[in-house]
Amino acid sequence: MKKLLPFVLACLVASVFVFAEGAKETAAPQIDLKTATWDQIVQAAKAEGQVTFYAWYFPDYFKEASMDFEKQYGIKVNLVIGDQTANFNKAIAEKGNAVGTIDCMIVGGQWVKTTMDLDLFWGPVNKIMPDADKLAPTLWVVQEGVMTKGYLTPFHRNQTGILYDPDRVTNPPQTWEELTAWIDANPKKFGFNDPSKGGSGQSFVHTLIAYTTGGLKQYEGDSDLVQTKVANWDLAWKWVNDRKDNLTFTASNNDSITRLNDGELAMTVAWDDNVKDMMTKGNLFKRAKMYIPKMGLAGGGDTMGVLKNAPDKAAALLFINHITSKEQQVKKFQMLNAYPARVDIPIEGTLLTEEDRKTNAIPWFPAPYKSHMIAEFVKNVLMK
Amino acid sequence: MRRFYLLLTAFFVIVQLVWIGVPIMMAVLWSLVDPQYPWSFPHLFPQRLAPAPWIYVFKYTNIIKALKTSYSIAPFAVALSFLISLPTAYVLGRKNIPGKKLFNLVVLLPIIMPGMVVALFLSRVFTAFRLSQTFIGLVLAHTLMGLPYMLRVLTTSFQTIPQDVIDAAENLGAGTFVKIKDIFLPMVRPGLLAGMIFAFTTSIEEFNLTFIIGTPTFETIPTILFSFMGYNFIRTNAAVVALVMMTPNIVMLFIVERFLKSDYLSASLGKM
Repeated sequence: MKKLLPFVLACLVASVFVFAEGAKETAAPQIDLKTATWDQIVQAAKAEGQVTFYAWYFPDYFKEASMDFEKQYGIKVNLVIGDQTANFNKAIAEKGNAVGTIDCMIVGGQWVKTTMDLDLFWGPVNKIMPDADKLAPTLWVVQEGVMTKGYLTPFHRNQTGILYDPDRVTNPPQTWEELTAWIDANPKKFGFNDPSKGGSGQSFVHTLIAYTTGGLKQYEGDSDLVQTKVANWDLAWKWVNDRKDNLTFTASNNDSITRLNDGELAMTVAWDDNVKDMMTKGNLFKRAKMYIPKMGLAGGGDTMGVLKNAPDKAAALLFINHITSKEQQVKKFQMLNAYPARVDIPIEGTLLTEEDRKTNAIPWFPAPYKSHMIAEFVKNVLMK
Repeated sequence: MRRFYLLLTAFFVIVQLVWIGVPIMMAVLWSLVDPQYPWSFPHLFPQRLAPAPWIYVFKYTNIIKALKTSYSIAPFAVALSFLISLPTAYVLGRKNIPGKKLFNLVVLLPIIMPGMVVALFLSRVFTAFRLSQTFIGLVLAHTLMGLPYMLRVLTTSFQTIPQDVIDAAENLGAGTFVKIKDIFLPMVRPGLLAGMIFAFTTSIEEFNLTFIIGTPTFETIPTILFSFMGYNFIRTNAAVVALVMMTPNIVMLFIVERFLKSDYLSASLGKM
């Protein structure tokens, strides 16, 4: 027995190393991707033979797009539809590894700032992607108030707006004063999510700050937070705290939509792509209507980034190019009604009108203010 | 008085049925909502049922592969938890060793700390030992998460064994092997089965470590479920994945329940 035990333990330890695969490292491209021609990148991608892509929404579209990619290029796609937070945590956990397991991923929400600050992505890629000039120009430069310096490729645009049940809201508010009056007259029927849990809530608080503290112009161009400019933000928190009993705070972007569908809310703030997706899947009544009020709500879009330690960088670039191609952007719009990042595609039949987007959509204030806004909302409203 | 007890029993049975039955029924109904006829206010029930959410989940996710992976890892994780826990639980339950209380607390750390925090720190260790993206790595990770449950339940089981029974066996000449076979193992069997259930369900539901060290090579059911339950909550699809995940666990619980019914003391004395 005494001799057997060390033998068994030795076998177990040995088996760990025998069966261990570790991170799969494919043949690294022998070319400099930043100076190579697009044809050379395609060849390098084919040599790599696979690409691993992480997303957290649209599993139907990405599965179909991956199959199209495999068919067109003969490159295998490892598609993982995970959770937003988990995806970024994994990428951050692997940051110290010379070779990671993720090639490219969707980037959005408050993670844009975190990941850019952590220098997680390889690039810039805006000079490499062949169709770069056809993708939303502002989203190439700034996303969620963060300067992305051409590292993140726009693939999808979305916009927040007010979503409502027309059976219960006959004259939806357009101005801040009208909205305030509606909320006071309809306690608990208007809701928005905790801004630390999703962008639609952030967009509402962003507009709240604009209307209660003197507009958004004062923050333009600031790369760091200026304390004197946020000194009067207590006016915004006072507005919320004064009508805390009349407002409903929800847990996430989709939770707001779910509560509208269940009849708890009559009006909420939501992302247009979330709304359409939930409507298509039978999670929201089809009579729901959406608009961008005249007081303005922020919009933006999501991007895709190539990880610095991606094992298959060329394949990742080719995959992103595939997703942003005209055919795929049209397919995404047809499947999900999600607004494309390409500006050369005529779009019809969206929830929000083009007119609304042109006149009422507003840009986010710089990222340091956004981070401060989220932290201060939690401190001054949710924790009080 | 008898009538009162009968009514009280009936009341609690109904409460239990509603408590457990309503969420399951809601999941079943949501999993069958026809996308063309959303289940919305003011409708109390879906207007029309269709298998569309089931078709969607099976068509667009790797759920079959994930099921196979989940149910392949769990038995190994349970077995390994048992092998590690049995001697440890014996010492903690029957022997007086210095630092016992501290050890009991340390053992619980993996389940006290937030899952993602444990996962992020452990991923470095798993990567260093080349265990990331491996089946063995996932078994070890799941064992780690199930171990606290198995160990605590087994320790309590060992503590409850009456010393008289052990003394009597020794007086009758029982050696170590006989004591393990005829006293300890039969008497800790209910605890062992309970520990197995906890370790098994913990393994089936483990998300954080699996996601960080297992994907993209391995996907388990929770890694798919979280994409529908987390940031991008889609109730119809989440209901399908939840039911897929729940069904085998319920079957297993019923099987184990049969064994748990046996009284441990009578079992130990061979009077089952």
